[in-house]
Amino acid sequence: MKARSFAALASELEDRFDAGVRAPWREADFNELAHAAFTLQFERIPAYRTLCERQGRTPKSVSRWHDVPAVPSAAMKALELCAGDAERPEAIFLTSGTTQGSDARGRHLVPRLDLYRRSLLPPFRAHVLAARSRIRFISLIPSPAEQPDSSLSFMVGAAADEHASAVHWLVDGGGRLDLDALRTITRRASHAREPVLLLGTALALLNALERLEDEPLARLAPGSRIMETGGFKGAGREVTRAELYERLADATGVPPVRIVSEYGMTELLSQLYEPVISEGPGAVGTHVPPPWLKVRALDPTTLDELAGGEEGILCFFDLANAGSVCHLLTEDVGSVLNGRVRLAGRAAGAQPRGCSLAMDELMSAAGSS
Amino acid sequence: MTVFDAFATPAGTASPPGTQLIPGTTDGVPLRYPAVGPEWVGALCEDLREARPALADRDAVDLAAVLGRVGERFLDPSDPLRRESLELLPSTAGISPEMALAVLDGMAADWTGARLARLLEIELGEAASLDGFVRFEGRRAMARGPTLCVQVVAGSVPGVGVNALLRSLLVKGPTLLKPGRGDIVLPVLFARALGEADRALAAALAVVYWPGGSAELEDAALDRADVVTAYGSDATVHALRARSPVTARFVGYHHRVSVGVVGRDALNGAGVETTAAEVARSLALFDQRGCVSPQLVYVEEGGERSPGEFAEALAAALDALEGTLPTGPLDVAEAAALHQARGTAELTEAGGGRRILHGGSAAWTVLLESASATAVPSVGRIARVRPLAVLGSLPELLAPLSGHLQTVGVAGLGDRLEAVARGVGRMGASRVVPFTAVPFPPPWWHHDGGGPLVDLVRWVDLEAE
Repeated sequence: MKARSFAALASELEDRFDAGVRAPWREADFNELAHAAFTLQFERIPAYRTLCERQGRTPKSVSRWHDVPAVPSAAMKALELCAGDAERPEAIFLTSGTTQGSDARGRHLVPRLDLYRRSLLPPFRAHVLAARSRIRFISLIPSPAEQPDSSLSFMVGAAADEHASAVHWLVDGGGRLDLDALRTITRRASHAREPVLLLGTALALLNALERLEDEPLARLAPGSRIMETGGFKGAGREVTRAELYERLADATGVPPVRIVSEYGMTELLSQLYEPVISEGPGAVGTHVPPPWLKVRALDPTTLDELAGGEEGILCFFDLANAGSVCHLLTEDVGSVLNGRVRLAGRAAGAQPRGCSLAMDELMSAAGSS
Repeated sequence: MTVFDAFATPAGTASPPGTQLIPGTTDGVPLRYPAVGPEWVGALCEDLREARPALADRDAVDLAAVLGRVGERFLDPSDPLRRESLELLPSTAGISPEMALAVLDGMAADWTGARLARLLEIELGEAASLDGFVRFEGRRAMARGPTLCVQVVAGSVPGVGVNALLRSLLVKGPTLLKPGRGDIVLPVLFARALGEADRALAAALAVVYWPGGSAELEDAALDRADVVTAYGSDATVHALRARSPVTARFVGYHHRVSVGVVGRDALNGAGVETTAAEVARSLALFDQRGCVSPQLVYVEEGGERSPGEFAEALAAALDALEGTLPTGPLDVAEAAALHQARGTAELTEAGGGRRILHGGSAAWTVLLESASATAVPSVGRIARVRPLAVLGSLPELLAPLSGHLQTVGVAGLGDRLEAVARGVGRMGASRVVPFTAVPFPPPWWHHDGGGPLVDLVRWVDLEAE
């Protein structure tokens, strides 16, 4: 069977994405597009093809997306997985580094940024903007100009291009926050009774809160909202999300039910959102994917699919990843019920036993002759 | 359901006002630790220090004999202390019952009176130097133990906490031991048994668990210590060092990496299976979480069997060990990390890179790697086998690890052994031993290059008029 060209598949997907997150997707539609993406990736990525052949799971033998071989997200550290033109990707997004620097960072090669752009907008509209079409963006995430290798910066930039009445980038590429500008901008908006959207990683928001302790911000106008992303992975912080949200609410006047958690990762071009604005407080603690992203929790030992609500390793099939690899096994732990994810909070300080990232890097550095 | 107290304090000291369950221990035997503040820890330290004069007046050799009698109980099959240890170890340390047995036998073999007496002799010349001035090498000197030795121990290998407390008690130092999460049971049981055997000596020992990173509690202890020993990650040891008083001697055992070297002579005929079995056991012990556990195995090229064939033999040996010495259960985060490592290696292999063999639902993995392999998380039992073309290049290859290098397990080096040992020793390794000796160093080993007792004492010189 001959694969559709990447360009043809991407155009088709873009049209589907444009219809929004509430457009109907039949399982058969998803499966057909998933199969087309798998066929393309099988043909274009030699290592993936070999792996699939060894497992006896090829486009010929596989009919359900569930059975497509999944690739671990860490593989992007070791290999370039690109189903488009790997010589000329439009962007290379890097995963956050470890203490050992850029060697250890994963690289997501993105052959067509428009596919990413058109996949990220509808869920952002549905769950962050909700009924609004434009809003003032106050971003504690560095701009795409400051961080061209960050998929998150690209996302905020693309959303701002479409939906910002104005955008303020208040954190530079080195992570420095312009606190005075934050105070001035929020004060003005507040006086004008203009709602704003504050965006930041959990860590950036926490850092800002610490610097706002003496004097909170002006109360943000009704209709304001906050998008929080990223969690505290590897940052050694001991603040729960509930605590963070309470402190944010105290400091800004934005109630916790208007603080939307975004869950995404560099290796996946689609994002999940906690739909508190669109659905209300009953949605707290769950993340909803767009219809072109499927998520399953897998048994930690066998990798078999778990029943709804059981906790396991999260595995995604993301059609927005058509240009790299769609089926991705992550290191994140959570449960899935009715297609929605509930992330498991890791016990405080629970790094795998005996695991030391720095040492693992050093061991890889120790040579061979 | 019984609950195990993760602390043992001397008779007569204040009991903790309350206790709290350690989260995540409810699957097996629930453990509870004292819910206390810095004042309680401070008062406990003062009580421990008061036990010192009584120890100073006793013979070091006698103290060693008492400690040995308690230690030997852990080896006696009819002793309830041993039975209780074996019952509690699997769930509290996250290891299989078979592993619990192997670890207890290996560890407690060094807790006997004979071994402890020999440790004193090797380390201090003669044990009497702890009792008063002795003359040697033309000078008179006396060894003085700590007034209070505070020990913060990692939880990765059960039994290390008992080794640690034996060292400071042997040099007559009152000891507060804070065990790590996976090494609570043995030190607590030891302290309780010591209380039955010798109240005066037991008055100098407290074992108290609290969750790691409780800085206030730690500081209350550190402030009163004149010797601090810390076992753990680089970050843990660094933090404790920074918070120890300037007047305290600090003995840090930070993160260590151990490796193996298999020479040509061990790759001939049937010998390869024997060697592979020894290597497999050395890394399977403690589920590879020990500082002595080999993480990388260099296999010399040019032998009768290739490094690739050795990797296959090693995989077979690791698989067989799952029957006799099974890996403990992995938690979901560890399992996730293992799937990342294996999946990445499988894809790399498909792309023409490293080779991978693994046990499926069994947690062993063998990676046959060439140079510049990507990092692999250390989870389950992972052997990274690297071909070695030139034996003499080993020190250079290990250079990136030099600050963290510890044990080098060896096989098949013949008369080249000493040259290899010189090379890796100068590169930072502190121990070169056959694979069979890797897991359990003798009590008098130069632990990370230092003397286990010598590092805890101060010398007092006496010159007669």
